[in-house]
Amino acid sequence: MRSKRWVPWAFLALPLTMYSIWVIYPLISTLLLSFTSWDGVSMSKDIIGLDNFRELFRDPYFIVSLINNIKWLIGFAVVCVPAGLGIALLLDQNFRGNKLYKTLVYLPMTLSFVVIGQIWSWILEPRSGVLNSFLALLGFKGVSWLSDPSVVTYSLIMAASWRQISYAMVLFLAGLKGVPRELVEAATVDGAGPWKRFWNVVLPMLKPATVVAVTVSVIDSLRAFDIVYVLTRGGPFYSSSVMANYMYIKAFNNYRMGYGSSIATIQFLITLVFIVVYMRNVLKKEVGNE
Amino acid sequence: MKRVLLVILFVSVALVGLGIQQLVVNSYMSDPEPKRVFEELVQQFESMYPDFEVTVNTFAHEDFKVLLRTWLTSSNPPDVVTWFAGERMRYFASKDLLEPIDDIFENGFEADFPKAFVSASSYEDRIYFLPQSWYWWGVYYRKSVFEELGITVPLTWKQFLDVCETLKANDMIPITIGTKYLWTAAGVFDYLNMRVNGMDYALKLTNGEIPYTDDGMKAVFEYWKQLVENGYFIEDATSYTWQEAATYLFTGEAGMYLMGQFIKDVAPPDVKDDLDFFRFPIIDGNLGLYEDTPIDGFMMPANAKNKEAGKTFLKFIASKEAQEYFATELGRLAANKHVPAPDDHAKKGLEMILSSDGVMQFYDRDTDPEMANAGMNGFVEFMTFPSRLDTILKNLEAERNRIYK
Repeated sequence: MRSKRWVPWAFLALPLTMYSIWVIYPLISTLLLSFTSWDGVSMSKDIIGLDNFRELFRDPYFIVSLINNIKWLIGFAVVCVPAGLGIALLLDQNFRGNKLYKTLVYLPMTLSFVVIGQIWSWILEPRSGVLNSFLALLGFKGVSWLSDPSVVTYSLIMAASWRQISYAMVLFLAGLKGVPRELVEAATVDGAGPWKRFWNVVLPMLKPATVVAVTVSVIDSLRAFDIVYVLTRGGPFYSSSVMANYMYIKAFNNYRMGYGSSIATIQFLITLVFIVVYMRNVLKKEVGNE
Repeated sequence: MKRVLLVILFVSVALVGLGIQQLVVNSYMSDPEPKRVFEELVQQFESMYPDFEVTVNTFAHEDFKVLLRTWLTSSNPPDVVTWFAGERMRYFASKDLLEPIDDIFENGFEADFPKAFVSASSYEDRIYFLPQSWYWWGVYYRKSVFEELGITVPLTWKQFLDVCETLKANDMIPITIGTKYLWTAAGVFDYLNMRVNGMDYALKLTNGEIPYTDDGMKAVFEYWKQLVENGYFIEDATSYTWQEAATYLFTGEAGMYLMGQFIKDVAPPDVKDDLDFFRFPIIDGNLGLYEDTPIDGFMMPANAKNKEAGKTFLKFIASKEAQEYFATELGRLAANKHVPAPDDHAKKGLEMILSSDGVMQFYDRDTDPEMANAGMNGFVEFMTFPSRLDTILKNLEAERNRIYK
């Protein structure tokens, strides 16, 4: 027995090395940088203890970014996931052309966020954009989608949802394939109406897919960056900023690597909570299956 | 495939054999016109110096600003980069990230370049920056539009407000501005500050010696407020890049745009000759007339691998011929003082600068990068919510105290 113990490690050696170089090392070095006032340019790194973190929680723009991340989280988890489920249920029916619709809804998934951001910048353009032109046609006043500080974050979430919903849909479509027809038919025979069938049979069967969809959406919402960067760069005056975007501006635009690292650290810790919850869920299941 | 590889191999062996020197230039000249002219300039260099092969990497302006720091600190940077004179250059020179280039000026810097450019191009008595072109800022408008509405060019603040009013009465947007990338707002700030408080004050401010809560600053924003509260600026200014906002001037929907000469780079051909500018109006008749004249050019990273090749290239860029070509094609003013102003428009710009009492670079080129970012964010916020002025200035003052401690 003993001689075989090295075998798994031999297989793990390469991935572990790469993981250490590309993930563990940057993680630790970011953490260490967050205790310095390094500007990203100088040779010397002055250690300033927890000063960055103290400043962070007095920094109104960081607070705004944090709150915006929470809005993204709610938008993704509460709007995108149910919407994805709804569309999946709809497209899971047998009707003519449902493959075509599936493809159309799935299409945004194939685009990168940068492309999506660019497309939406044309849609949301205030004077001649598609959306405001359409509103004008109906006789409404246009909305300042990207320049009204109280609207802009929701505009960005709307643009991101376009892709996120189709992501959730794919997960649920796959999940629906795993719901045995007999179960649904049996429920029908027992006199359950469509709502009851959904609520008591289909939805419980979809629990694994739901857990994945919610967790992935939450994690995606926390790492939101591309759409914000392309559409507004966090503006006007940081009203649409999210943590990743604020970190980027501080670290790379303003030459405050140390401060930027402290933002990244906070972001990492928040994300970690959700990852741990998710992994515990997954691991429990895997152990259960053995 | 094999054949292609062979050819590549052969060519590279031949290049090495012939002593071809590779030279990498990273450039922010991403607008089509400057990009074209710079590429042509590089071709001229290559035909004059067949031993050199230049690779130009062009980056979008805003990306370039972020990436430069990474290049300068890397062990494998480009040999030459485009950049801005003044504080923006000195920031890197002070951190030993730039190579001094005094030796490319065989007869000394001042033999070919104006004395006024020395301080903006040097750090601790060494030259680190090769000026290529410079330009003026002014209030741009379309001659045909002003003519049609019977508007004469305003000289004073009062007249300027009247022009805004006339434009508004004719259903036009008096002033267009795109503040998505913030710096356009700094132009308005610079001019109001120079006109209300003078240049000494403005320089002290960009040096971090004047509190943002100072009465002089409040006076600046009192004037700015008149433009904001009367609705003279375009709505949703924060949605637009500077180019997008310029379109409204070109289409005739907007009347004026406070902008640098490079606005002509992006103007459609039929509008280009219709564009003209006037000097930012006088607010306090007792003060001198000061202008923003940013200088663009090149510098060399301290870690550049091929410094000799880089310097040969910079020498070429500094030459009268190269400077003249660039300035003439783009209608800018060449930094080389032996090159005359290329056209009437540039002559007018040059005369305006020569008749001024002093010049600055630009808010975000004269002050610390982080302070500039905070300041410009504040200016943009003020343009949306003028009532928040006191809070904005208080926050900026807190930033100033932290940055210049």
